[in-house]
Amino acid sequence: MLYLELLLQGIVQGSIYALIALGLTLVYGLLRILHVAHAALFTLGAYLGVIVTNATGSLVLATAVSMVVTGVVGMAVYKLAYEPLLGKPPFIALIASIAMFIASEEIFRIIFGPYGLSYTNPPLQGYYEIFGGFYLKYGEMLVIGLSIVMLSILGWLSGNTRLGVSWRATVTDPSMARAFGINIQNVRYLNFFIGSALAAAAGVLVALLNNLVEPTMGSVASYKALAIIVLGGLGSIRGTLVAAMAIGIIESFGTIYLGHILGRDALAFAFLILVLMVRPQGLLGAK
Amino acid sequence: MTLKSKLLGAAISVGLMAAPAFAENVKIGFNVPLTGFAAADGESALNGAQLAVEQVNAAGGINGDMLELVVYDDQASPKEAVPIAQKLIEKDGVVAAVSGSYSGSTRAAAGIFQEAGVPYISAYAIHPDITRAGNYVFRTSFVGEVQGRAGAKLAGENLGLKRAVILTIKNDFGQSLAAGFKEAAAKFGVEVIGEYEYSIKDRQFGPIVSKIRSDNPDVIYATGYFFTAGPLVSQLRAAGITTTVIGQEGYDSQHYIEIAGPAAEGTIITTSLDRDSSAAETQDFIKTFEAKTGHKSDMVAASGHTAIKVLAAAMKVAGTTDKAAIRDAIAATNLVASTGTISFNALGEVQKSVQVQIVKDGNWHHFAVIDDAALLAPPTE
Repeated sequence: MLYLELLLQGIVQGSIYALIALGLTLVYGLLRILHVAHAALFTLGAYLGVIVTNATGSLVLATAVSMVVTGVVGMAVYKLAYEPLLGKPPFIALIASIAMFIASEEIFRIIFGPYGLSYTNPPLQGYYEIFGGFYLKYGEMLVIGLSIVMLSILGWLSGNTRLGVSWRATVTDPSMARAFGINIQNVRYLNFFIGSALAAAAGVLVALLNNLVEPTMGSVASYKALAIIVLGGLGSIRGTLVAAMAIGIIESFGTIYLGHILGRDALAFAFLILVLMVRPQGLLGAK
Repeated sequence: MTLKSKLLGAAISVGLMAAPAFAENVKIGFNVPLTGFAAADGESALNGAQLAVEQVNAAGGINGDMLELVVYDDQASPKEAVPIAQKLIEKDGVVAAVSGSYSGSTRAAAGIFQEAGVPYISAYAIHPDITRAGNYVFRTSFVGEVQGRAGAKLAGENLGLKRAVILTIKNDFGQSLAAGFKEAAAKFGVEVIGEYEYSIKDRQFGPIVSKIRSDNPDVIYATGYFFTAGPLVSQLRAAGITTTVIGQEGYDSQHYIEIAGPAAEGTIITTSLDRDSSAAETQDFIKTFEAKTGHKSDMVAASGHTAIKVLAAAMKVAGTTDKAAIRDAIAATNLVASTGTISFNALGEVQKSVQVQIVKDGNWHHFAVIDDAALLAPPTE
C-alpha cells in the first residue's frame, strides 16, 4: 500500500514538473533558447492564483486569470527580451534569461513582501479514501486531473487543428514553414502564451498543495525543469513528459529510502547523469 | 583642490561636528538578511533590534550617548558576511556588533570580530561553532542541541508520547536539533521509529506524509522553519494525519499559523518567547512591537531585541567604549530581557529556560516551561 501511495505521490510531483517543463521544451524547440526565466512565470502564476482566489473566493476564476495573465506576460518576455537577441549567439539569450529570473525574485519580494502569501481559506483541504487505507488528497487529485486534461487538449490541438499543424511545421523547419505562408511571429507568440499559461497552472496547483507562495519558489523549478528537458531529450515533448514522471517517481521513493544518503534534488541529478552516460541524447531525443 | 571645494569641505566638516556636540552617537553593527531566502526572518530581526535601540535611546541612551544601528544586508550568506564584518570594524568603527542572521553568515563573521577584539552577539543563529570563535563572541539563543533535548523531554515527559518520527531539515539548524532530540530521547522513554530528511527548498512533502501514515507514530518531531513547517503541517492534516507535531523556534512566527491555517491548531514548539509571560519586559516588548510594526511579534524579533538590550546594558555598565571592558560586562550579564533572564556561561552561551508554546485559536500561547538546568546546560568549550 505504501509503495502505491509513493508511486502516486511521484505522479503528482511528476505532473507538476511536466506542466512547468513543457513550456521550456516548447521554447527550446522553437528558438533554441534555454528559457530560465520561465520559472519566474511559474511564480507569477502562483501569486496571481492566490491573490485572485483570496479576492473573489473562486479558485476556478483564479486559475483562468492566472493562466491568461501569465501567458500574456510570457509573450511580453519574448517580445521585449528574446526577440531582439534572436540573431545573437544563444548564450546571450541565456544570460538575459538568468538575469530576468534573478531580478524577478527580488521584484516579487518588493511587491508582495518577503513572507510569501497563503490562501485565507485554503480550498480543497481534505482527502478521499479510495479503498482500504489508500488515500488521495483533493488537491492531489486536482493536480493529476488538471494535468491530464490540459496535456490532452494540447495534444489534440497540435495534432488536429491548423494552428497545431503550423506550430509543428515551424518547429521542424522554420524557413519551409514560412515559405508555406505560416506567420512565424504568431507561432512564437502562441508558443510563449501556452508554455507560460501551463507554468501558471502549475504555480496555482503548487500553491494549493503547499498553501504558500514565496518570492523564491521558482528557484527549484528553474533548474529541475532544465534537468527534465535535458533528460527527455532537448526539444522532445514526449520525452519531457516521460522525464518529468520519471523524476517525480524517483524523488518520491528516493526521499523515503535514500533520503539519508542523497537529497531529493541530488537524486534527480544523479539519475540525469546516469541516463546521459548511456543515452547522451536523452530518453527520447533524436541522435 | 579648488578653494570652493575646500570651503565646501570645511563647511561639511563643521556641520558634521556640530551635530554630535550635544549627543555623541555610539555605533553598533548589525548584519541581517534583508534579501534572499531568509529575508522574512531578517526583516523581523531588524524590527526587533530597531525597537530595542529606540527604547534604549528614549531611556537616555548609553549614559547620555545615543545608540546608532549600522545595518548591512548579508543575505544569510557567509561570503557576504565577511566583508560586512570588516566594513563594520574598519570603516564604521563600531564598538560592538549583533548578528540578526543565520548560522552560516554569523559563523563566518564571528572569527573576524574575534580577531579585531570587537564584541559580537548572535541573536538567534544556532551553530555551536559560533561562540567557539573566541571570548568576544556571545549567543543569546539556545544552541540546537539544547533545544532538541528540551523537545525530547516535552515529548516523553510532558506529553507522554513515546513513539517518535523525526523529520530533519538538512542544515545545521535541523541536524543539531535532531541530534539533541535523539541524545535525550532514551532518557525520557522516547523511541525513534523513523527518520527522514528534507532540504530547506522543499515545500512538498507528499511522500513523507504517506510514509508517516504507514509508520503511525505517537508524535512527529519535525525540525524546520515556518515556511517549511507551514506547508508540512497543512499537508499532514489535509491527508487526515492528526498526530501531534512538535516544532522548534523556527516555527515561531504568526506566519506559520497563516500558512497552515486551521491545520496549525495544536502544534507545540520549543522556543524563547512566551506570549503569555507575566514578565513586564516580555509583555512590554510584545505590545510595543505590535504597535510599531502592525504585526505580531515572533521569536526572531524578540531575539534581535534581546541581543541589543544585552549589549546596551553591558555598555552602560562598562561606562566606556573600550571594547575589552564591554566584553567583560557582557560576560557578567544578568538581565531580564524579552526572551527571559539572560546570563552566559564561560563559552558565552546563554543560560535560560526553554518556553513551550502551543497554537490555540490562531495564536501562540503558553503551554509549559522547561527549566531543567542540567538538561539545558549549553556546551562549555
